[in-house]
Amino acid sequence: MVMLKKFFRKISDWSGFFPFLIFCLAFEAVPILVLIRGSLIDRTTHQITLQHFLDLQGRSYINSFINSIKLSGLTAVIGVILGTIIGYAIYTWPSERTRKIFITLLNVTSNFAGAPLAFAFVVVLGMNGVITQFLLQWLNYELYPGFSIYSFYGLVLAYVYFQLPLMVLLILPAFAGIKKEWQESARSLGANSFHFWWRIGIPVLMPSLIAGFTLLFANAFGAYATAYTLLQSQFSLVTLKIGFLIAGEVRGDPGIGMAMAVLSLMIMGISIAAYQVATIRARRWSKS
Amino acid sequence: MRKKPNLIGSLPNKKSRPTGWQILLIAFFLFYMLLPIVSTYVFSVATRWDRTILPEGYTLEFYQRAIQTSYFTITLRNSFILSMATVLVSLILIVPTVYWVHTRLVGAKPLLDVLMILPFGIPTVVLALALVQVYNFPPIARSPFLLIGAVVVYSMPFMYRPVSNAVQAINIHTLTEACQSLGANVFQILSKVIIPNIMSGILSGSLLVFSTVFAEYTLTSLLVGARFKTFPLLLVEYTRINGNIAASFSVISFTIAWLASILILWAGSQGQRPSKNVTRS
Amino acid sequence: MAYLELKNVSKSFSNVTVVQDFNLEIEKGSLVSFLGPSGCGKTTTLRMIAGFEKLDSGTIKLGDREITTVPPNRRDIGMVFQAYALFPNMTVRENIAFGLRMKKAPKQEIEKRVNEVLDMVRLQDTAKRFPHQLSGGQQQRIALARALAVQPCVLLLDEPLSALDAEVRVVLRGEIRRIQSELAITTVYVTHDQEEALSISDKVVVMNKGIIVQVGTPEEIYRAPKTRFVATFIGTANQFYGEVSGKDTVTCKNIKLSVDGLKEFNEGQQVVVLVRPENIQVQSEHHNRRNWNAIPGTIETITFHGAVTRLGVNANGQRVVADITVGNTQPVSLNQTIWLSFPPDGCQVMAVTE
Repeated sequence: MVMLKKFFRKISDWSGFFPFLIFCLAFEAVPILVLIRGSLIDRTTHQITLQHFLDLQGRSYINSFINSIKLSGLTAVIGVILGTIIGYAIYTWPSERTRKIFITLLNVTSNFAGAPLAFAFVVVLGMNGVITQFLLQWLNYELYPGFSIYSFYGLVLAYVYFQLPLMVLLILPAFAGIKKEWQESARSLGANSFHFWWRIGIPVLMPSLIAGFTLLFANAFGAYATAYTLLQSQFSLVTLKIGFLIAGEVRGDPGIGMAMAVLSLMIMGISIAAYQVATIRARRWSKS
Repeated sequence: MRKKPNLIGSLPNKKSRPTGWQILLIAFFLFYMLLPIVSTYVFSVATRWDRTILPEGYTLEFYQRAIQTSYFTITLRNSFILSMATVLVSLILIVPTVYWVHTRLVGAKPLLDVLMILPFGIPTVVLALALVQVYNFPPIARSPFLLIGAVVVYSMPFMYRPVSNAVQAINIHTLTEACQSLGANVFQILSKVIIPNIMSGILSGSLLVFSTVFAEYTLTSLLVGARFKTFPLLLVEYTRINGNIAASFSVISFTIAWLASILILWAGSQGQRPSKNVTRS
Repeated sequence: MAYLELKNVSKSFSNVTVVQDFNLEIEKGSLVSFLGPSGCGKTTTLRMIAGFEKLDSGTIKLGDREITTVPPNRRDIGMVFQAYALFPNMTVRENIAFGLRMKKAPKQEIEKRVNEVLDMVRLQDTAKRFPHQLSGGQQQRIALARALAVQPCVLLLDEPLSALDAEVRVVLRGEIRRIQSELAITTVYVTHDQEEALSISDKVVVMNKGIIVQVGTPEEIYRAPKTRFVATFIGTANQFYGEVSGKDTVTCKNIKLSVDGLKEFNEGQQVVVLVRPENIQVQSEHHNRRNWNAIPGTIETITFHGAVTRLGVNANGQRVVADITVGNTQPVSLNQTIWLSFPPDGCQVMAVTE
């Protein structure tokens, strides 16, 4: 009798969670499952096949993946290094009021992504952009056609713009976890600043740095709007290719598109999992 | 007595002034962050700016033309509707769920955390593709309702984190038990005690969702496109037609996001407790 | 022979003077405590010795070296902090070896030394563990080992036991004293816990509001406090206010108390008579003992402290605290009328100036 009561209690406990679960099922789980299924099924024979994934070996598909990974990796590395250095500069800034202003600025600029950002970069670094003009007239340097904002490196510049604040916001609390006592202990034991950072500071920060990298990588990999506004069809990225498929601009077997999407999910999944693990490690050290 | 900052920089030579490196780095940072924004603002009021470092002249003409474009009011309205609807659905879906999980189903919290991280792992194009494949039947196919569902998924983490933090900060179990011991029912507990105490989290979350959805492009263009044109779609359209007008749209969109950010910060500060001063002898 | 010498040391933080004109000579091999309430300047002074705070004025000499402007990583000091400052990313062994690595000592010497200090703190089997796997007390012992590994000239401890449980504190302070005297290392120990200071120090420096109030051995500080602050900060003292009314009498309210040591005081001068609870005898009847003071009172509170029971007695409107030991045969109960008696030499008289 008690078992039955417990059972009903459990059902009623879980029933409150159902609405949310049903929503997630309807808009996340089922669509993704359908996607995975679609990527494994041949449209004509209705049989399971890996052909769609094998078709991804085609030139343009491989290129898009290489480009996406290169772009994400590069902007993540730049974002982590720059973000950490700038984050440290902000963290140790003597005036607390100014520090808060910087952090507000970070929060505000993290909103400026997607199409408006891409457009802003055209204004600044386009053929007739502000910096382009400045370099031409004051330093006699012709930026174009060697460089173009509508290229891979132009995209890198735009991507770093929204990667940077993300990394700084992520690393700031990690600096707080570096205890003053560690630095003073190290000094009393004869270490100078370099020794401290090399042997203690950076190792302790490492999980946060890794977390930053994986987060920035995933962030860049999944980005669409910025690239779409800047590139259109000049350059291939995974997200752009999938977007074209949905918009019906590209004729082809939807199975390949779904295979691309599933592969993207796997790449994102690995990144996010790595991010979670790194974050847990980071938290562990800040507790001791 | 004296409050000692836990800065790792405060060693024997206490600097009350920033070092040269700091100034250099921050200057670079400010330049990089602010130049695109400022340039866009200036571009929107420039008559001509393709041959010189500073604009040749200034005008408000482009703002006038921007406001007069045929889809201006419609897209703004649509964006507002989409954002408000998403906020509403998010609130109704997430706040009670968070409360429920924290009080009656604590074992599901890890699951909830994972579900709330998931949207970060799904690129918007992939979500769009998946949804289009599943919901390809009328009336939901390519409808604003599908879009709302998609956008709610996309913005879930932004509502969840502030609300969840707020709930965890108020020790909800003890509060609930105190209410129950004083004779309140679930509805009263929620409305009179819980929600007022997590209001800062609810406000932060709502504003975050609002501003994120207001600027959303990918899902909107891929799922509904021209059928439910939102402001970001109009902006992208004009980047290919008239740059100056596109700049005006950019300014409008950014200003709205900027206002929302300020409100978010204000909302977040509403719920903070005074920090403790640690004194040392 | 002064090994560590502080002369006219002062320090202010944004217009608030935290340490004022601090003068002290510490003998080699002795353990000196800085004792005082929060905010008295003891930690700041310690940090100035370590080099983590700059002096506003004054000098610090260690041996025959003046170290006032020497950076902390070259002062040859060892420091133990209140919050265990073990490096979380290193094992116990690596933590202890850190200072020796900074000195670029050869590998075998490092090995040997690390094992030596681990033996000293009796934690040999923790060498491969990480700090978060150790208890608070263990972490502090490793912190001590790490500071001692480089054989510093001076050992500085900043409230090292404040964050630990009571029993651990008692055991650990004994350990610290044992190691300190075995190594005969000059040590400065900051604490706000007077029991700690009294039990392990060779000398105690009592501080209040940035100045040294009294320096002496633990016995001197306890039995012959120089000011009311020291008398009430160290242990408990009952305070009877009154004025001098004779060669050896002080009148407090309407009661005449026989006291010793009135030589420096004038007739009619306002004074306070301090009596420690353990010097008061509690009796159910008034026994007339020659010279002894006897005050009647009613027991208001009885607090059991284990070996001692503390009575809160209402004597003539004033609350008096008296201790009775387990050996006391007479039973006591609330609201009981009893007599408190104490001898003249159990009193200390001080002028009322503050």
